[in-house]
Amino acid sequence: MTDTTAETGAPAPRTDLQADPVARGPLARFFENWPLSVLLALGWVFVVLVVAIGADVIAPYSYTGLDLSSRLSPPVFMGGSWAHLLGTDELGRDVFSRLVQSIRMSLLIAFFGTIIATTLGTSLGFLAAHFRGKVEALVLMLIDFQASMPFLIIALAVLAFFGNSLPLFIMLMGFNAWERYARIARGLTISAHEQGYAAAVRQLGASPWRTYGHHILPNIASTLIVSMTLSFPETILMESGLSFLGLGVQPPMTSLGNMVGYGREYITRASWIMLSPALVIVLTTLSISMIGDWLRDRLDPTLQ
Amino acid sequence: MIRFILSRGLRAVVTIFLVVTFAFIVLRLSGDPAMQILSVDAPPEAIAAFRNEWGLNQPIWQQFLDYLLNVLHGNFGDSMREGRPAMDIVLEHVGATLMITLPALALKIVIGIPAGIYAALHRNSLADRMTMMISVAGFTVPSFVLALVLVLIFSVHLGWLPSTGNATWKHAILPIVTLGTAGAAILARFTRSAMLEVLGQSYIRAASAKGLIWRQVVTGHALPNAAIPTVTIVGFMIGSLIAGAVVVESVFSWPGIGYLLISAVANRDLAIVQSILLLIALCMVCANLVVDLLYGWIDPRVRLRSAH
Repeated sequence: MTDTTAETGAPAPRTDLQADPVARGPLARFFENWPLSVLLALGWVFVVLVVAIGADVIAPYSYTGLDLSSRLSPPVFMGGSWAHLLGTDELGRDVFSRLVQSIRMSLLIAFFGTIIATTLGTSLGFLAAHFRGKVEALVLMLIDFQASMPFLIIALAVLAFFGNSLPLFIMLMGFNAWERYARIARGLTISAHEQGYAAAVRQLGASPWRTYGHHILPNIASTLIVSMTLSFPETILMESGLSFLGLGVQPPMTSLGNMVGYGREYITRASWIMLSPALVIVLTTLSISMIGDWLRDRLDPTLQ
Repeated sequence: MIRFILSRGLRAVVTIFLVVTFAFIVLRLSGDPAMQILSVDAPPEAIAAFRNEWGLNQPIWQQFLDYLLNVLHGNFGDSMREGRPAMDIVLEHVGATLMITLPALALKIVIGIPAGIYAALHRNSLADRMTMMISVAGFTVPSFVLALVLVLIFSVHLGWLPSTGNATWKHAILPIVTLGTAGAAILARFTRSAMLEVLGQSYIRAASAKGLIWRQVVTGHALPNAAIPTVTIVGFMIGSLIAGAVVVESVFSWPGIGYLLISAVANRDLAIVQSILLLIALCMVCANLVVDLLYGWIDPRVRLRSAH
């Protein structure tokens, strides 16, 4: 970044560079490191995590429990009763309880999906960088294939033809964006070998397992973690999109996308059924991406 | 240059072959289509006749070879439901999809690129912050949520526009706006960061230093260089003209490729799904190839690097 072009009408230099940080109070300096938006995002993620972990305690009703006497009752802020905070659906199921359960399910799938994708991608990246030659060509070919097909289309084909079960669905989400980790792991490993510390431990007689697990992985971990935070929201979006289409999480289980898909049928009469899960999806993905961007700026400027 | 074109072309062919293989393996090994189409309690003779007719009795490698030959001859199999060539059915739906994705693409480019350039040139201004906020929303609001919110506002509350179907041109507005706004946000963010990257380079400082006025620096030096990465993302958007509207078509019951794909998947109509997969792969790979070549043409560093 340069600020020498200011006189020519170029973009104004960043104001935070001009201001003297010492001249301002400790509070200002604190917010410089921890912007308010990031704090809010962290707060929301914390709330969502607490909800996901304590779903059984928090939910006032069973998420499949029917209450046929109060069907389609509106939420409190639309004139409903406190008995059903966020209203009920066509079968009298409590929207809040279902929302809590859906948050747990969606986060669970996105979490395991991201873990699988990271493990798979990083391993393949290591393999490519270690063996080079044909193995590398094969991995690069797979990366090309994955990157050139929209994942939604692949997922649709696999899901519909293999049928659907939760373990399969989570596995499938694990194939979302693996190629990104593979690219990063391969590239960074190749440069690690050039830096010499990897060669040094190998010369000392370390097994490949030890070289990669104890030396290279810790060195590239920060970049991998940043990409995990950036692709986690994408996995949530993929899961909710498929569930919305009715091809993801199957009833009686529920996820955020399912709830929106179900609520679509009642959009004219009971829009609250779809609005609260939709809002949760948006706020959660927004928060995690903001945290990811912030982490990237702090930890890994090379990923820009 | 020729070597560069050949290497990229070979990659495209390999990718297509992988897609064909993937489609075949996944779709054939995943279950017995005879049982799905005819239901479990169909008479055994009917099942045997069906399996015979569709070549399901042959060993799998034989089926694969036959399939490859058929694909090479442009024969993509018949739809098991409708009994006519699957590719014909698929191509009939392409028009409907393009009817919403092409205007949406125009919308993305017309809004996204100028917004990104403006935001980059006025970094940290109110307009920049607004653009960035909206573009972050473009990444994080799923298209089905945006679509449903638009339906809620314009169809349910205001009653201005119809929410589903494709009877009149009015039906196309909401799908186009949904696809266009999300894409424009993504493109704006991308253009902005490409622009900022270029504006920080020393040749921009050199151009200013030799006395060019700022407008000349921007149009003559910054924009052409920022165009290089932007071409990639636009190329990707062109490649996904056919595949990019699956969810939106489903929300608006718009009878395009995505709608057909979802129903074919639900009916396990193998030939249709395979044809759509191949068509999409072909579009994506061609777009990527064109982008690669364009990239090598605009930026000599790329073709020199990859020639080694």
